Amino acid sequence: MASFIDLHHPPGSDRRADRMVRSTSEPLWLRRLLIGIVLAFFVLFLALPLIVIFQGALEKGFGYFLHNFTDHDILHSMLVTLIVALITVPANALFGIAAAWAITRFRFRGRQLLLALIDLPLWVSPVIGGLVYVLLYGRRGYFGPWLQAHDIRIIFAMPGIVLATTFVTFPFVARSLIPLMQAQGCEEEEAALTLGASGFEILRRITLPKIRWGFFYGLILCNARAMGEFGAVSVVSAKISGKTNTMPLEIERLYNDYLFASAFTVAAALSLLSLITLLLKTIAEWQNTRQLEAGRRALLESSIDTIPSKANA
Amino acid sequence: MSIEITALSKSFGDFPAVNNVNLKVETGEMVAFLGPSGSGKTTLLRIIAGLEFADSGNIFFSGEDVSEKSANERKAGFVFQSYALFNHMTIFENIAFGLRVVPRNKRLSKQEIRECVLSLLDTIQLSGLENRFPVQLSGGQRQRVAFARALAVKPRVLLLDEPFGALDAKVRRELRAWLSEFHNKTQLTSLFVTHDQEEAFEVANRVVIIHNGTIQQIGYPDEVRSKPANSFIHDFLALDI
Ligand SMILES: Nc1ncnc2c1ncn2[C@@H]1O[C@H](COP(=O)(O)OP(=O)(O)OP(=O)(O)O)[C@@H](O)[C@H]1O
Ligand SMILES: [Mg+2]
Repeated sequence: MASFIDLHHPPGSDRRADRMVRSTSEPLWLRRLLIGIVLAFFVLFLALPLIVIFQGALEKGFGYFLHNFTDHDILHSMLVTLIVALITVPANALFGIAAAWAITRFRFRGRQLLLALIDLPLWVSPVIGGLVYVLLYGRRGYFGPWLQAHDIRIIFAMPGIVLATTFVTFPFVARSLIPLMQAQGCEEEEAALTLGASGFEILRRITLPKIRWGFFYGLILCNARAMGEFGAVSVVSAKISGKTNTMPLEIERLYNDYLFASAFTVAAALSLLSLITLLLKTIAEWQNTRQLEAGRRALLESSIDTIPSKANA
Repeated sequence: MSIEITALSKSFGDFPAVNNVNLKVETGEMVAFLGPSGSGKTTLLRIIAGLEFADSGNIFFSGEDVSEKSANERKAGFVFQSYALFNHMTIFENIAFGLRVVPRNKRLSKQEIRECVLSLLDTIQLSGLENRFPVQLSGGQRQRVAFARALAVKPRVLLLDEPFGALDAKVRRELRAWLSEFHNKTQLTSLFVTHDQEEAFEVANRVVIIHNGTIQQIGYPDEVRSKPANSFIHDFLALDI
């Protein structure tokens, strides 16, 4: 409700806040220096590599660049990446909501442990994530003999790639929802409950609409990671070009085969996907603030017009 | 609908918030829970609604044991102290919510829902504001929307947690009169929590004084005022007068 209180500040109060920032800030030269350093870092470590990627991709001309997209192996790697994202993102969406719901709405034993476990993929190397699945489902692994007896291949095949990707991406949705749901509390859900709504109706009509931007943000992060993951996937994939290579693996293969222009082409495609993701994320955030602003403005108007006095009539 | 509570207890950790409460509320009664802050009034009300579950004891709605039933099965109309309106929905959708979540075979038609919501808006004197969002209403208006939302599903009992707690004195008095009148008209069994004794004595048929999770006295307003059962009640009532 902080936004609610903000409204009662007179319109001029912004300027005062501005002045405060100015009076507490550093001298001009220092500010310029800091901004300069940040910009230099940005150019060196983010912008330049991105430019180099696209430059490398176009090195042999635009025709060659386009020609790459008719290559079977390259197209197949894109397909694999797409399929992996299409499976892991929805799976993590479900898992993320379930985990966030359980952690923020119930008090149960092992809750803190679950909270810590959700973060596990963030502090364990992705390679280890991949290895765990090899140890579990690989030929010599724990379930290996049983899987072989039933002719099921997980490691060095699609299922393994999906599992490993799910492992590295599963904190994202849950992590972006938990603080949000904690802050919002559950009074609206309780109200819905007393009105006879089922758990599913509450989720659909109350919880999801309240968390939709955070949820969307989590999905985008999850998707970016699912498409870009290298470490975990490289352990469980047989790395057969045209069969089990994802885009990042295909980039490595092309690079190692000295097909630099092609490697950069796939890299450019992957970067483009990331840029689109970034754009979506920005739009999501922008929409979110816009909606908030609209709410505030409406509130401001309503406190000016005659409605409140009508209420007291 | 009558409500009967027998030997109800609830602890948070080892803190007894509600302690061996016995109470019978007759059909059509308006009963106030009066007590100082932290005495367990909200907890008791939440247990009756099914939002919290007792450690021991039973609750009967019209003789039927509902102790194990969930809040959405009990369908007690509940009005929260902070309203708990659905902020992402219009006033219309807020009030219609309980009607929309009914299983399809029992659900009213769109037109019927619309008529029902509009007539409720009329009852709470907010006609014309159905397309606003909760943030665009004043506190008193929000409070009435919360009422209408609870009433839309035709509950057999109304539970109000400090319904006027967050409002200024003038709006409070007006809404209090409105509630009294509403209750006289509908005879809907109602329980309401308050720590304002003037409110309790003016609106309720009977008053239940609660302290430290236990009922200190149950009686008609005059009775409680003229014959406080113990020194706590005597002192508590004397505070405001
Ligand atoms: N979820 C909870 N966990 C732990 N303790 C709780 C919880 N809810 C309530 N309590 C404790 O139970 C006691 C009774 O709380 P309750 O909210 O029922 O009081 P109240 O009579 O409604 O007070 P108020 O008039 O201030 O609203 C308080 O001491 C409170 O700290
Ligand atoms: Mg309370």
